[in-house]
Amino acid sequence: MGLLTLIVLLPLLGFLVNGLAGNRLGKRFVSVVGCGLPAIAFAVTVKCFLDLQAGGWAPLAETAYAWAVVGQSSFEIAFWFDRLTAVMALVVTGVGTLIHIYSIGYMHEDKSYARYFAYLNLFLFFMLLLVLGKSLLVLFVGWEGVGLASYLLIGFWFGDMEKAAAGKKAFVFNRIGDAGFLLGMFAIYSALGTFDMPAINAAFMGASTPAVSASLVGILLFIGATGKSAQIPLYVWLPDAMAGPTPVSALIHAATMVTAGVYLVARMSGIYLHAPEASTIIAAVGALTALMAATIAIAQDDIKKVLAYSTVSQLGFMFVALGVGAYGVAIFHVYTHAFFKACLFLGAGSVIHAMSGEQDIKKMGGLGRKIPITFVTFAVATAAISGIPPLAGFFSKDEILWYALASGRGGSVLLFAVMAFTALLTAFYMFRLFWLTFMGAPRMAKEVEHHVHESPASMTGVLVVLAVLSAVGGFLSIPHFLEPMLPLPETMAAMQPYHYWVMGGSIAIAATGLAGAIWFFAGDASRAGAIRAGFAGVYRVLSNKYYIDELYDRLFGRPLVWISDAVFLRLGDRMIIDGTLNGLASVAQRAAGRLSRVQTGSLHKYAFLVLVGMVASFVWMWTHG
Amino acid sequence: MIRDFLANLDTLLIYAFAALALASAAAMLVLRTPMRVALALITCMVSLGGVYGLLGVHFVAAFQVLIYVGAVMVFMVYAIMLLDPRDEAATARYSSLLWPGVFGFALLAEALAAGYWNDLPGAPRGATGGSFDIASFSSAFLSEYWLHFELTSVLLLVAVVAAIAVIRENRRSDRG
Amino acid sequence: MDKVQVLQFVAAALFALGLTGVVIRRNVLVMLMCMELMLNGVNLSLVTFAHAMGSAVGAVLVFLIFVVATAEIAVAIPIVLLLVRRKRTLDVGSFSDLKG
Repeated sequence: MGLLTLIVLLPLLGFLVNGLAGNRLGKRFVSVVGCGLPAIAFAVTVKCFLDLQAGGWAPLAETAYAWAVVGQSSFEIAFWFDRLTAVMALVVTGVGTLIHIYSIGYMHEDKSYARYFAYLNLFLFFMLLLVLGKSLLVLFVGWEGVGLASYLLIGFWFGDMEKAAAGKKAFVFNRIGDAGFLLGMFAIYSALGTFDMPAINAAFMGASTPAVSASLVGILLFIGATGKSAQIPLYVWLPDAMAGPTPVSALIHAATMVTAGVYLVARMSGIYLHAPEASTIIAAVGALTALMAATIAIAQDDIKKVLAYSTVSQLGFMFVALGVGAYGVAIFHVYTHAFFKACLFLGAGSVIHAMSGEQDIKKMGGLGRKIPITFVTFAVATAAISGIPPLAGFFSKDEILWYALASGRGGSVLLFAVMAFTALLTAFYMFRLFWLTFMGAPRMAKEVEHHVHESPASMTGVLVVLAVLSAVGGFLSIPHFLEPMLPLPETMAAMQPYHYWVMGGSIAIAATGLAGAIWFFAGDASRAGAIRAGFAGVYRVLSNKYYIDELYDRLFGRPLVWISDAVFLRLGDRMIIDGTLNGLASVAQRAAGRLSRVQTGSLHKYAFLVLVGMVASFVWMWTHG
Repeated sequence: MIRDFLANLDTLLIYAFAALALASAAAMLVLRTPMRVALALITCMVSLGGVYGLLGVHFVAAFQVLIYVGAVMVFMVYAIMLLDPRDEAATARYSSLLWPGVFGFALLAEALAAGYWNDLPGAPRGATGGSFDIASFSSAFLSEYWLHFELTSVLLLVAVVAAIAVIRENRRSDRG
Repeated sequence: MDKVQVLQFVAAALFALGLTGVVIRRNVLVMLMCMELMLNGVNLSLVTFAHAMGSAVGAVLVFLIFVVATAEIAVAIPIVLLLVRRKRTLDVGSFSDLKG
């Protein structure tokens, strides 16, 4: 068995062991298996990375299993390890392992401890299938699998109907996106006859244009990405997904699963380089989503909801980068975002843990002195996401803003303006969150205030590691590392002089956001209260998320329920199917009743019938010889 | 003429016995009391025995009289004497299906006659058709038809058991 | 017409008369006797053919029919006895318990 297969199978083993025997073997065993196996997977990934480097960056390939052979074509489960996979796999296994360790402390009191770790390992298995897969088919298996794991983990506390409904919503919206993905896959296969991703890219980059339009395939695959990576119109599941445990939100809905869509587009860059219409659509959708989510985030009061909308917004940034052809930059932002967003979510988890379950930031405040480690790490991560140099977020966001303006493949001033404004909003709402949570006077109830305590070492240790990574991670220039396989787009000559203006501008934006947040929300936040009262209508629209959920329910939800009830249940099932069966039975019964009248009970009649039959048979026999 | 008569005596006798059998069979359908019907049947059977004897199968004729008349009809007569109550039902001769039955008889007889007429069996092979003696008959039974022989013994055993079982049921229900 | 052929017609007539008797007559014992008449008709046919073809098969079959008829009567009459005792009448028309 090769190393790549080993990476994939280790979490699966963890799932099986913890899932089947975890309850019987106690929490310590579950923790060791549940965190140890991902750690080993991380170590093997590092080894593979070193092998890759030693081999002159030639991609490693491994075929694990021939899944199906249909006629001439064979579908195999094969794995692939090149630079892009290396970055993704290291992030997935590294951050994943850290979050597993954090979960030991966070989920310690939970009675379904083993099930939690089993599901978490199952998620890791599918995510690794996704990033290591060589063919679109294996990627799709991983894609579906992470959707399943997401459903299982969001609805982890399924006794609460709302949480179970959130899990279902996530799964349904993912599925809708997957329909587009499947159509894209079918189009590729019917034109090229293969699912092998390096081969598909080569076909599109090659001299002859394939039989299928690259834009069509690009758009179809992107529909799948909107579902998985929460872009317009399929993003609505992500805020609801905060119903799951906070480490789940950190791992799945910040660091790894939602970046699968970004990975898909980057992996299929061969298609998108030849699909300008699709790329334009991607950039537009990404920008719109980023802006819309940022505006919603400034009016949210639940600490996790703010972070959820922030994730949607940051994913929009990544898609803008993809849309203008800067695939390596988008992956760079995936990488930095994994660090600071995970740190933010886990920090929020620590805050919630300290506040005995309270999530409303209006009821927090003054936590800075009481939970110092969480305070410092959260501050570092907030600064990183806002783009304050020299932290990681500054580098990746600055690159995105630069390419949004200057890329030769779709950069424009309008795009840059939208993204810059969104960056301003990002800094603003993140510092608002930070200030209301940690600074100022405490606004919580007295009993809660007494119980505020720092989290255990398993949780704070991870926070520190992630904060350090958020701080220094940006110095590793991923775009240049990926450039041999994902070339950066040429920048427009007209924009070249503004390169340093853009960098200065992004620093200014971050500072303005910070200053604005302090001005509005420091002290007793009276100025913010005045603005909210003054713009009450706008505030209501924003805090109700533009009423999109209600719109979807009215447009799609209710008609579907009506069709299921009136057409399928009443008409189809009861009237047609049950009616047919009951009708057949009663026909049989009535026929039997009629036929049983032959049995008169009169022996004479029976003998007479024998006589008549005999006559008939003789006549027939003697006429037909 | 008497010579002709004497030469064909056996054929004439066969016809006579056959006519007697037919007449008594027809009488069975018309006679009123069951006792008389039984007597008519005995007459029919005996005349059939005569026919068999004149055809040359003497042992079959003997068995006919011995078994059929001597056992079966005697038993039937016992049953009639046991069961025959002097009541209304005994005198009512015909069932509700009299005319359909007669019509059916006409049809059946016509069908059989027409079938036979169109397909008459051929003249007998061998001079008089050969008569069998009981020695060849019994050796045939024990060699070629031994299976049938064994099965009949099983059948008779089963009949004995069944008769006893029926009577025992009767006694039990009488007691209870 | 040969005596064999005449006897065939007689045998067919006996059989038809017996079957008709079962349909026509009301008394259950008379019905049983008409069934015996049917068997006799068949016997006559068999013996006639045995004589005509010179093979012993017919005689063997006749003997088997004797046995079967005997066994049949041995069981049928006790059954009729019990039935009549329960129903208190010999009229077959009133034995209609198996109706429907």
